[in-house]
Amino acid sequence: MTVHRAYLGIGANLGAAAESVERAIGALAELGKVQRTSPLYRSEPWGVRDQPPFVNAVVLLETPLAPRALLDELGKIELRLGRTPGERWGPRAIDLDLLLYDDLEIDSPELHVPHKHLRERAFVLVPLAQLDEQFAPLRDALDASELAGVVPLPRSDPPSRESVTPMPQGRLRPLVERIAALARFLASGDAVRVRVSRGEDEIELARRLRPALAPRSSDGASAELAPLRVDEIKADIVGIFHARPPAPAEGDRFEGDRELGYIEALGIRTPVRTMGAGRIVSVATADGAAVEYGQPLFLVARG
Amino acid sequence: MRTVAIFSQPDRESLHVRQADEAFCVGPGPAARSYLNVPNIISTALITGCDAIHPGYGFLAENARFAEICADHGLTFIGPQPAVIAMMGDKATAKRIMREAGVPTTPGTDVLGSVEEAYAAAAAIGYPVLLKATAGGGGKGMRVVEDARDLARAYASATAEAEASFKDGRVYLEKLIRGPRHLEVQVLGDDDGNIVHLGERDCSVQKPAHLKLIEESPAVHLPARTRNKLHEMAVQACRHVGYTNAGTLEFLAVGDDVYFMEMNTRIQVEHPVTEMVYGIDLVKEQIRIAAGEPLGYAQSDLASRGHAIECRINAEDTRNHFAPAAGAVSKVVFPGGPGIRVDTHLYAGATIPPYYDSMLAKVVAFGDTREIAIARMERALRETLIEGVRTTIDLCLEILAAPAFREGRYDIEFLPNLLTEIGAPVSLNGTPPLGELGAARPPRAKPVGPP
Repeated sequence: MTVHRAYLGIGANLGAAAESVERAIGALAELGKVQRTSPLYRSEPWGVRDQPPFVNAVVLLETPLAPRALLDELGKIELRLGRTPGERWGPRAIDLDLLLYDDLEIDSPELHVPHKHLRERAFVLVPLAQLDEQFAPLRDALDASELAGVVPLPRSDPPSRESVTPMPQGRLRPLVERIAALARFLASGDAVRVRVSRGEDEIELARRLRPALAPRSSDGASAELAPLRVDEIKADIVGIFHARPPAPAEGDRFEGDRELGYIEALGIRTPVRTMGAGRIVSVATADGAAVEYGQPLFLVARG
Repeated sequence: MRTVAIFSQPDRESLHVRQADEAFCVGPGPAARSYLNVPNIISTALITGCDAIHPGYGFLAENARFAEICADHGLTFIGPQPAVIAMMGDKATAKRIMREAGVPTTPGTDVLGSVEEAYAAAAAIGYPVLLKATAGGGGKGMRVVEDARDLARAYASATAEAEASFKDGRVYLEKLIRGPRHLEVQVLGDDDGNIVHLGERDCSVQKPAHLKLIEESPAVHLPARTRNKLHEMAVQACRHVGYTNAGTLEFLAVGDDVYFMEMNTRIQVEHPVTEMVYGIDLVKEQIRIAAGEPLGYAQSDLASRGHAIECRINAEDTRNHFAPAAGAVSKVVFPGGPGIRVDTHLYAGATIPPYYDSMLAKVVAFGDTREIAIARMERALRETLIEGVRTTIDLCLEILAAPAFREGRYDIEFLPNLLTEIGAPVSLNGTPPLGELGAARPPRAKPVGPP
C-alpha cells in the first residue's frame, strides 16, 4: 500500500490552546504515523483580529488515506475536540488544515492543495520551515513584521499526549533508567548537551550552565554548543552477555577500540567491542544476562 | 504451559509478542535474518530454558535440517521425524513412496534428466501435462504444457525459475488434471504408531497460483465411497512412513478418482475448520504427541459434527493481482456471535510490515448445516471492519454469494473464472509480487501455537 506524506497545520485559540494542539497531534496518530512535529508557536490572530492569540504547529503525517478521506477525518477530529461548525476565521477550539499532500495539486470546491493561503501565513510557514528546510525560502519571503508575530511558545510542563499505542508494560523502566544515566553523565561535567538517536526517536538533554561558566564568543553571546554524540552498543546475536573483567563501569574511558565483553551463544563467543574511543555513559545490561537481537548493552559518549 | 515468542524488529508491537510469557527479538525485518535465523532461534530457546519449539506453519516448519538441529541441542521439534519431513519435502520422492504404499498418484515421472526424457514421458502420459519443480511451492517452476510444441520452451523456463527460486532446478512431469477439486485429509499420529484421520477439507477455492482463500469441512457432494477411500488412503500412507504428529495429505479429485498430490508435514493455516467440526484442539494434540503422550483415542471415537468454513482475510488488492499491501491499520472491528471464531494478530493501530505474508485474520464459521455456516459467515464478514488497507473481505462475500459455491459445485477453476466474470485482472502465472510466499506461509512464526 502506498503511504502519502501530508503536512498538516494545527491551530487553536480557545481554552487551553496549547493542550488542544497537543491533543490534536495525539489524535492524528489514528490516521497514520506522525513522522515529525514542529514546536508550538504563539501567533496573532488572522482575519478577525479581535480575539485571543492562536497556538500553532505543523506536523508531517504519513498516511494511507486519500486527500478527501484525510480531510473528512480531520473534520471528525475537529468536531471531537470541540470545534463548532459554522464560523470561519472565528475563535475555535481546534482547527486542522491540510497544507500539502505529496506533490499533489488539487483545486475543488471543498479542497485546495497546497492550501490556498499557505504562502501568506507566517503561523504556517514558520513551523513548516522549522520541520523541513526546503520551505525556508517561502518563510523568508514574508515581511519581517509578519514573522515577528509568530514566536515559539515557552514550554511548561510536558503536555500529556493521547496515544493509540500505549508503551508496552515493562519497557518504560529501562528507558527511564537510561535517561537517568544520561542525566548523571551530564552532571559529571563532561558535556553540557547530549543527544541519543535510535531509529526515528531522538532525545536531547542539556545542562544549564551558571552564567559565569558559560562559554562566551567574542561578541559576548552564548556560543552554540554542539551536542555530544552518544552511541548505543547493541547485541547483534541472541545469547548470554559476559562482561570482560574488570567489568566495564559507568564513567570508564578508553582511548582506542576495546573489548568490553562477549556474547556466548551455542558455545561460540562473539566479542562486544567499543568500536573506537569514548566514555561509558551507562551500562545497560548486566553481566550474565540473556540478550536479544538489537538489545542495548552500553551507551558510549564519543568525542 | 509457559511460552517464549520470537519476533523480528518490525514485529515488536505484534500481538504474539505482547501475549507470550516472554518474547525475544531474533533479528531485523528480512525473514532470512530473523525468522529463518537458526542460530538466534536455537540460542533463544536454550537461554530461556525451552523444552520444545513449535515451528508454526511457515518459515522453518518443514525444514528437516532445522528439526535435526533442534534434536542436536536437546530441544523437541514439535512435528514429525526429520527423515519423514525430508522424504515428504521432496515431491518426487514423496510420490514414489505413496505409490509403494498403494496410494494412487497422478500419472507422472521422477526427476527429469533432460528435455528428451520429458518428450518421451509426455508422449507416454498424454498431453496436456504439467511441469513441476521438485522443491516447488506457490506455483514457482510450474508450467502447463498443452502440446509437444510448447514443451522445450516450458522445460527451459520452469528449470530456470526453479533454480532461481529454490536453488534447485530439478523438475518432473505429471498429467494435467482439468477441473479437479483440492481435497486434503488431516491426520494425527503418535509415537506408539496410532494413526487417525480427522476427515477432509475442501480447499478448491484457490486464487491463481493455487493459493487457498476459502476452505470448508466436510467436503460437499462427495460420495461416501470416495470419502472413505480418501480417509483410508491417508491413514495407510502415514502407517507406511511411520508418521508422527499432525500432517495433511493433499489430493486432487475428479469424479471418483483421487490422486495423491503432496503431504504437508506441519499444521496448516486452515486447521481451524477441522478443529470446529471435530471439537479437537490440533495444536494441543501436536504438543501432547511431541511430549510422548499416546493419542488416547481410536478412529471409532472420532466423529465430525456440523459444518465449518474458513475465509482468509488478507491485506491484498483483489483487483490488482492480489498485490500484498503493507501499512497502518487505523480501525479494526472483528465479528462475534454464535459459531464464529477469529484467529488474528491484528489490532487497531497495528502496522503491517512489508516483509511477510499478507494474511491478517482467519474468520471461521460453524453451523449444524452448511447453509447455516454460510449464513453466519456472510453476517460475520459484513460485521468485520478493517480500515487502512485493502482486504479480501469483499471478494470472499462475492464467492459466498456465487451460485456454484452455494450449491457446492465448484472446483479449483471456480475462483479464477469468477474473477474474470467480475472483471478483476488475473495475471497469467498468477504470481504475486512477493513470490517467495507459498500457499501457507504464516504472518508470524510462533514457538508455541495459538491459544
